[in-house]
Amino acid sequence: MSDLSMDQTARDVRRRNFEKTLFTLFIGAVLLGAMVVSWEWPVRASIIVLVLGSIGIALAAVQLISDLKSMAPGSARSEALSLEAPALESGNRWANVEIWSWIIGFLVLIQLMGFLYAIPLFVFLYVKVYGGGWLLSVVLAVCAGGFVYVIFDMVLHVPWPNPLIPLFKMT
Amino acid sequence: MLQAALDGLLGVLALHSLGLMCVGVLIGSMVGFLPGIGGPTTLAIMLPFVMTMNDPMAVIALLVGIDAVGNTASAFPSILISVPGSSGSQATIIDGFAMAKRGEAARALSASFTASLIGGLIGPIILLASLPFLRPLVLAFGSPEFFVLTIWGLAMVGVLSGNAPVKGLLAGIIGVLIATVGLDVKSGIERFAFGEPYLWEGISLILVALGLFGVPECIDLARRKSSIAERQELGSGFTQGIKDVFLHWWLTVRSSAVGAWVGFLPGLGSSVADWFAYAQAIQTEKNAHLFGKGDVRGVIAPEAANNSKEAGSYIPTLAFGIPGGTSTALILTAFVAVGINPGPEMLTTGLSFTFAVIWTLVLANIVAVFICMAFAKPIAKACFVPFYTIVPLILVFVVVGGFSAHFSNTDLLVLVAFSALGFMMRRHGWPRAPLLLGVVLGAKMELYLWLSYTRFGFEWLSRPGVIILFLLVLVSVLYPLRRQKRAGAAA
Repeated sequence: MSDLSMDQTARDVRRRNFEKTLFTLFIGAVLLGAMVVSWEWPVRASIIVLVLGSIGIALAAVQLISDLKSMAPGSARSEALSLEAPALESGNRWANVEIWSWIIGFLVLIQLMGFLYAIPLFVFLYVKVYGGGWLLSVVLAVCAGGFVYVIFDMVLHVPWPNPLIPLFKMT
Repeated sequence: MLQAALDGLLGVLALHSLGLMCVGVLIGSMVGFLPGIGGPTTLAIMLPFVMTMNDPMAVIALLVGIDAVGNTASAFPSILISVPGSSGSQATIIDGFAMAKRGEAARALSASFTASLIGGLIGPIILLASLPFLRPLVLAFGSPEFFVLTIWGLAMVGVLSGNAPVKGLLAGIIGVLIATVGLDVKSGIERFAFGEPYLWEGISLILVALGLFGVPECIDLARRKSSIAERQELGSGFTQGIKDVFLHWWLTVRSSAVGAWVGFLPGLGSSVADWFAYAQAIQTEKNAHLFGKGDVRGVIAPEAANNSKEAGSYIPTLAFGIPGGTSTALILTAFVAVGINPGPEMLTTGLSFTFAVIWTLVLANIVAVFICMAFAKPIAKACFVPFYTIVPLILVFVVVGGFSAHFSNTDLLVLVAFSALGFMMRRHGWPRAPLLLGVVLGAKMELYLWLSYTRFGFEWLSRPGVIILFLLVLVSVLYPLRRQKRAGAAA
């Protein structure tokens, strides 16, 4: 491995450890905030928050110490392996930005056009952009839109919110 | 009991329920052979649909049908492309893929399906056999014991589900706190709602489940942009694979028992059941050096275990109302929504529902194995579906399902918030199952704690059952913590 890529890997590990510590801090802050807010409540409402919250803060402190130790230079500790699902790889940050942009874009599209227009458009664009043929893109878009229309609109009568663009408002 | 067994069978065999079970089996099988979509994701997507249903038998048939068979069809990608279709088929890859490379994919697949069928039948038998023992135990429990049991379930899932015990426990606690959001009807206090009417009803479990599991799995699938380069032909030996299972019948029975036991213990789940079964096969079978080189026994053991595990996980779920993992937590939520109350009731007045679960497990496994065997060739081709056809469809179902929680735009914001939380948890190795379990168990835990306190004061802490259960909690928490500390020191 070249010095440059080793340097890059070390930077990635440092950044990852820093993010990990911040996340633990966030969890600790949430627990602390919950305890502070519930302090004034009657016992019936606050008992579970206070009992579990105090245990949680102690555990968050333990986890924070462990995270800080792993941030120390020369630490050999590897990230714990998860049996549930492996932790996402840290590399290729743009891949995260890319998929989150699609998700947020889809939600914006829903606000602008409403569900029934946004769904086929989103499916079509996603399939087409990543290499699907015209036929496949159209078929999947029609299937997804058709399924949602039949099940949610015709059968379940879901009250869709009005889109921001009046042109797409369903009559 | 016989009457309840008959009622359960008739309920499942009713045309409506039977049809829904077949739909469930089809969905569960599809989820299995398409790598990247997990059983919990599918169940989370199904929650908004089933909560509108009025027939509890139909809900049992659909959801248990989905849950029971996910591990059967997941052998396809494990054996053909060395990618586990579900977390329960990881060990199958070792010998299954080696057999496929040798041109024995058909043999490996048929052995896998037959072992799955037998595991799927032995599991419900174990569940059935446990009922006479569970009944007096559950009926002897009061609110203090149930409170400690909920703590034990949460602690077990917390410390065992992610090999990161502290993070798991913290996730469980956060889950319980999320469950407290909303108006507390007993005290009239608005908890963590901050004057926002949307939060008065609490946070919908549908949004938590979809956000924690649906979106992060989708993100993972989209990030990998996986394309499968090498295709495996099915080859020959389909009948030989079936014979292999009967030739190694004792291994199949043992592995099924291991799977059911792992399922019974909250927190372990499929991903451990197959490895446990694989390990016991290596330790107990002759010519162990052949394992890992394409030995059919390496397929039989994990596949029998991962199917019987499902039935085992219903034992604590139905008897104590404590789900053993993510899938059973979601199923439990749906059960409660349609009027089935897991806990002591399931062993008394609701015994027919318990039998309906057992019958569905049996029937769903038979149907799934029939589908997998009959349509092996087309299903094998479907394993190669590119990511861009799956990702947008899952996202659509996740978003529409999330919106169905309250039919409000705020649902979508909450969905994004939990998706971000799920993504960060996944990114930093925090187990998500305990958080979901905390949300599911939170209300119950609080109720049991309050009932124990108001009825017994602090004396409930000295009840023998409570002391024994608290000791169990301590052992469950401290042993993995100590093990992790030792592992850390060794590293």
